[in-house]
Parts: sequence; C-alpha cells; structure tokens
Amino acid sequence: MTLLEIFDPRARPRPIGIDLGTTHSLVACMRNERPVAIADCDQEVLLPSVVSYQPSGVVVGRLARSLAVEAPRDTIVSVKRFMGRGADDPETRRLGPYEFAARGAASPNVVRFKVRGREVTPVEVSAEILRALKRLAEDELHSVGGAVITVPAYFDDAQRQATKDAGRLAGLEVLRLLNEPTAAALAYGLDKRKNGHFAVYDLGGGTFDITVLLLEDGVFQVKATGGDSALGGDDMDRALAETLLLELGWRRAGAPPPSASLVRVVLDTARRMKHALTDALEVEASLPAASGEDRAVVITRERFEGLVQTLLERTGVACRRAMKDAGLKPEDLDGVILVGGSTRVPAVRAYVRALFRRDPLTDIDPDQVVALGAAIQADLLAGEGPKEDVLLLDVLPLSLGIEVGGGVVDKILPRNVTIPTGARATYTTQEDRQTGFEIHVVQGERELAADCRSLARFTLKGIPPMAAGLAKLEVTFRVDADGLLHVHAKELTTGIEQTVAVKPSYGLDDEAVEKMLMDAIEHGETDLAARRLAENRVEAHRIVTATEKAMADDPELLEGDDRARIAAAIQGLTEAARGEDAGKIHALVEALDVASKDFATRRMNRAIARAIEGKTVDQVTRDVST
Amino acid sequence: MDPFATLGIERRFDVDLTALEKRHRELSRAFHPDKHAGGMPSEKRAALARAADVNEAWRVVRDPVRRAEALFALAGIPVGEDREPKAAPAFLMEMMEQREALAEAQGAGDRDLVARLAEAIHARARETQTILTRVFAEPGEDLAPHLHRLGELRFYARFLDEVSAIEDLLDDSAGRETRP
Repeated sequence: MTLLEIFDPRARPRPIGIDLGTTHSLVACMRNERPVAIADCDQEVLLPSVVSYQPSGVVVGRLARSLAVEAPRDTIVSVKRFMGRGADDPETRRLGPYEFAARGAASPNVVRFKVRGREVTPVEVSAEILRALKRLAEDELHSVGGAVITVPAYFDDAQRQATKDAGRLAGLEVLRLLNEPTAAALAYGLDKRKNGHFAVYDLGGGTFDITVLLLEDGVFQVKATGGDSALGGDDMDRALAETLLLELGWRRAGAPPPSASLVRVVLDTARRMKHALTDALEVEASLPAASGEDRAVVITRERFEGLVQTLLERTGVACRRAMKDAGLKPEDLDGVILVGGSTRVPAVRAYVRALFRRDPLTDIDPDQVVALGAAIQADLLAGEGPKEDVLLLDVLPLSLGIEVGGGVVDKILPRNVTIPTGARATYTTQEDRQTGFEIHVVQGERELAADCRSLARFTLKGIPPMAAGLAKLEVTFRVDADGLLHVHAKELTTGIEQTVAVKPSYGLDDEAVEKMLMDAIEHGETDLAARRLAENRVEAHRIVTATEKAMADDPELLEGDDRARIAAAIQGLTEAARGEDAGKIHALVEALDVASKDFATRRMNRAIARAIEGKTVDQVTRDVST
Repeated sequence: MDPFATLGIERRFDVDLTALEKRHRELSRAFHPDKHAGGMPSEKRAALARAADVNEAWRVVRDPVRRAEALFALAGIPVGEDREPKAAPAFLMEMMEQREALAEAQGAGDRDLVARLAEAIHARARETQTILTRVFAEPGEDLAPHLHRLGELRFYARFLDEVSAIEDLLDDSAGRETRP
C-alpha cells in the first residue's frame, strides 16, 4: 500500500479486468505487478450481480439483493443467463419471478424484462452492473482506461456480442472479451510458472466451461473447449427449490401457484442451504407451506447430492468431449484447475477428482481467479504488462456454418480452431434466373440448421438473372480475437458484395444500442456528446502515441515525404483533440491513419519477413499484396 | 493462398508436425492482435489479417486431407469431390463392408472391435500417405494419376470421424451407467 495516493486529475488511465458473473461480479487491476481485486467501502470484492429498479432509481449489488424479496419482478437476478437469448428461449420459461414483455417491433427476438412500467433488455441490466464496477474502480484508480471483460468460453456469438454491447453502454472501452477459463489459467500459470497440459473446470452460477490448454513458455494455447452456457449453481438452487416446493405442498394438485416473492424466497433459501451443506451434513429451513402455516424442511447432503447428480453428469459429457478434441487422456494432464463458486460443493470436487483421476488445484480463490486473469490481460493489452512474453491463443467454442439445401448445415469453421481465423466457401444458385441469395448463418454442432443457434439472415440481392449453377457466391467468415464473427458475401461473376457484422437474429442491432445510449441520457446517466468527445480524445491520444513510437523505432522505414505528412497529420489531430468537436477529431484520426498507411505497411512487411526466416522481403511483399 | 508460404515452410507432404507447432507459435507471437494492441490502426488491421491467415494455413497444413488438397491445387490440379475421378468400385465395395462392420460393432457395443476396425483404416491411411509423400517429393512427377488417392484419404478421414462419434456415444452411455 502506497502512503501517498493523492488525487491527481491527470492520473494516467489504468486498465481493468472485469469478471461479469451470473451470481456476482468483480473488478481487478494490477498493483505492484500483481493482480488484485478491488474492494468496496465495506471491504467486499464480490458485487452481487443483482439489479433492482426502484422508484428512486437503479440499485445494484447487495442492497439490490435484499430488495429482491419485496420487489421480485423489478429485481433482476442472474441476468447473465438471458444474455443474447431470444424471447422464445427455454431459459425464459424456467422457474423465476420475472415478467417478460411481449415481442417488440424493434429487435423482436430479444428478451425484455418488465420493470416499474418500463422494459429493459439483459444488455441494459448488465450495463448497470458494469457501471457499478466502473465506479468502484474509479474510486480506487481515479481514472479507468480500457477494460477486459470475461465471458464463458462456451458463449456463442450472440452472447459475446451482447456482453460487448453492455460494456459499450456502460461507457467502458472494451479492450477484449476474454474467455473465463483462459483468464483463470493466465492468473494461475503466471503465478505458478508451470508448463504442461491443464484442464480448467469452471462451474459458475449459471455457466459451465471446460477448457484444455497447453502452457509453454508464456504461450497459453487452448487446445479444446466445451461446456454449457445454461448450467451452473443456479440449476442446483432450482433443483433444490423444486424439492422444497414439493415438500411444502405447493406442487400438489389444487394448490395455488406460489407467488413471485415466495419463488424468490425459496430460491434464496435453496442457495443458502446449498452453501451450508458444504460443511454440514444436513440443514433445516422454515418456509411457508401451501396450507398457510410455516413448515420446517430438512435436507441432507446425500439428498442434495442426488439432486445435482444429473447436472454433474452433463459436465462430465462436455469434459470427455473436450479431452478427446484435445487428443488427451486424464493421465496426460499436469493439473486440473477449479474455477467458479459452485466448485466449492463437495460433490463437485469428488466428481472432478474421479473424472480426471487426480486432486484438483484450488489454491487461488475460485471466485476471484477469473477477474485476476482479466486484469493481467488488460495490462498486457495496454502495453504495460509484465516484462515476460505472454500470449493467449484461444479457440472458437462452437462450429460456424451456413444453411444449405434441405436445411442442412455446411460447416465453414469447425469448433476448437485457433482464433483469429477465417475461411471461405463458395455456393451456387439452385434455380434459373435467381437474383438473390439468402444466407443464413448458424452456430452449433448439429447437422440441421433448425437445431443450431441462428446468428443472422441476410440476402445478397441484385444478381443479374442467369441459369442455375452459373452465379458463384463466395461467403467469407472472419472471427476476430474476441471470438466475434464478421461475414462477407460476394457474387464472383458480378462482384456484388455485402458485409455484415453478425448480430441480428438474437441480438441488438447498432441502432438499438444507439437508442439505449440515448435513453441512458434521459435517465440522467450520462451526456452522450461528452462521452463521444472523451472517447474520440482517447482514440486520438492512442493513435498519436502509436505513430510517434513507430517513427522513433523505425526511422529508416520513412520514405519520401512520409515524415512531413505524418507530422502534419499528428499536429492537426493534436490541435483538434484540444477542441470540443468530436466529429473533427474523428475525421483527423482517419486522416492520420491514411497518412501513415504506407509506413505502417512497410513495418508490417518487415515484421513478416523477419518472422518467416529464409525469405526475402520481396517474396513476402508479393504474398501480402495478393 | 499458399499455406506453406504463409507459414514459411517447405512445400511437402510429410511435414514435421512438432516443427509446425513451433512455427505456428512463433508466427502467433509476431502477429497475434494482442501483440499489436498499441500499434498504428493500419498495422493492427494488417496484423489481425495476417494472424488469421497463419491460423488458417496451420489448420490446412496439419490436416493430411487438406494438406494433400493444397499440394494438388498448388500443382495446378483442381480439387473438390466433383472434379476428382470417381473411386474404383472395388474400393467402394470394400469401404461399404467396413462401414457395415462398424455399424454392427456399434450395435453390439463392442468397443474392442470398433478400435480394431479403426486401426485397420488407420493403417490404410498411412499407406496412402506414404505414397503421396513420395509422389509429391518427386520433381516432375505427373500428379494427376494420383488424384484418386485424395478421395481415399477423405473416405478414411470420414470413417475415423464416425469411429470417434461412436466412441463418444459409447463413452457417454458408459458414463451414465457407472457414476464416477
């Protein structure tokens, strides 16, 4: 602890790592080259992921949790389970106290909670949690830079996109979406300096991930990942809550349906009983029975373990598949790392021990390890990380494909390929004079598109009428380092093109996110113009710093009037950044990008030539330009 | 795209997979977007595209079927199931028998038999790969007559995928019966 942490308005923005969890969330940062979780004024680091919409405003965290019983419909618990899900998703029909809005005209497939006379999407609810964490970090660090937000490795494209949208809505610059098990491995691996094959078993509040990775001299290479994005401690609570409702007579024929607040009480009681059963062999709770009076119910650990057995077996199926995809047997592993609060349940530990035939490693707090890893990654991305050469190579969790004839999926990118990556596929018309191609992008392992997750549908139009089979449609998939997909379609004979950022089927389009930003202003949250200006200034500062550093590092690669042109662009941008015109800053950022393009290309070509030894720069340049 | 050039490795069928892994890691260190987070915008875009190309090339080269496809294509011989010669009837017949045997083994839940059938196909695939290694290494070799071997490799790969799916099914049902 530094003695003199005086407030400095010019404090350098510091990167943060955020674990946006189902049950609780937390934020961490680097201090003295070690990741630490940031505590609130009560010295608590875990913020319950609960958002309560009260007449006086929005409440997040422990206070919100305490309001859940009196205002069950207006208090959203475990919002992460609804991220990127459609209004028709089975998740919305599970046991829960919420009221959902009817399908709206805009983004019809997005779940909407009805709270206090308005409708909120899971993205907005998550943004409230992120805002609370951002405020916590600001209290500690004075100025917050970019953020790495973790997501379950098994999150699909829609769920990832929703998380990124929430970050944007909360006013965070999202440096990267990082897979939770990879974050845990980073925190663990850098701490223990081990090499070898590791499995990360991550059972959180609402999601399960299994990731198998190879740690080798600072490279964390994910070999395979698997899981279930709707499986976690919440399901243990629900299973136990159902048993309690049964015991209390609420499931008997003729019994009235339990009220929303009773459902909340029973779910909370189930969670507390689960926690107690970690140490105790039996626990008792007193709850309102259907008959009117309170009744005591006793649950033994054995009974609880029987209830969660099916859930554990579902994790086992995913684990075996991931191990097989990685080409490994349990004895090939050098360690199994436990992550997530649900791994405290003794039955879970026993199951993992039997499955992998070894004692799992638990020496970093399973609730904190993900956020700590995210903080390390944020630091690396902000260019101020540890001196060692660390690199995370993650994979695509679920196959990506296109629906072709007969509703069958043509897989374009299989699961577990290293990202970023890309692939192309070519299709042709089925009918004479067909002038449009309908493209349906799906994600999942099943053979039929109807059984996979629909990511987007779009139509490439304006193709001149030709005989069937003559038009050639080339679809290109690009997956970036966040695991987000970008699709590009092109008709090769005419050159008609279309690029889509994949969002629509179950997500919010840019317009909808924009509208939420505007709504936030009405709620007194923030001034959109001020935020834009601040964001553009940060961007201006970043590009100027990067360009100046590159010029200082490689002056010999500046040719002709490069130096003068770039210097002029830098000067123009620097002046604009002092002004108030966000649009002008943005335009001059682009101008600097253009001015430095040739110089940047030369630097990249040299890097390629150096990386591929034995090749001349000319040869490599030819490869790059094709 | 020439995946061998992207990875900066020699164009041949019998690649050293360990060296390939190492090369992939080196190139990832050079181009992964994380390593260019503080770079100029066009540099970041170029690095992202390059990292994606490297990963794509790696995926092609480490898979024998896709590696053979790339080598035929680079030699100017178009590949793709509709452009390649039909498999010989005798080969098709034999494969059909193997598939039937596999289906029977699955029905009987006979894991050992599944493993034996898989090993037989593995051996066949290795044999074809040895031939391909030789013909791709021979300068001036006429490759077109060997194109049917690509179809054979795909057959073997599909058979082994099926074996893998069957093993998963048998594992999962075994997992349900014997709780760990």
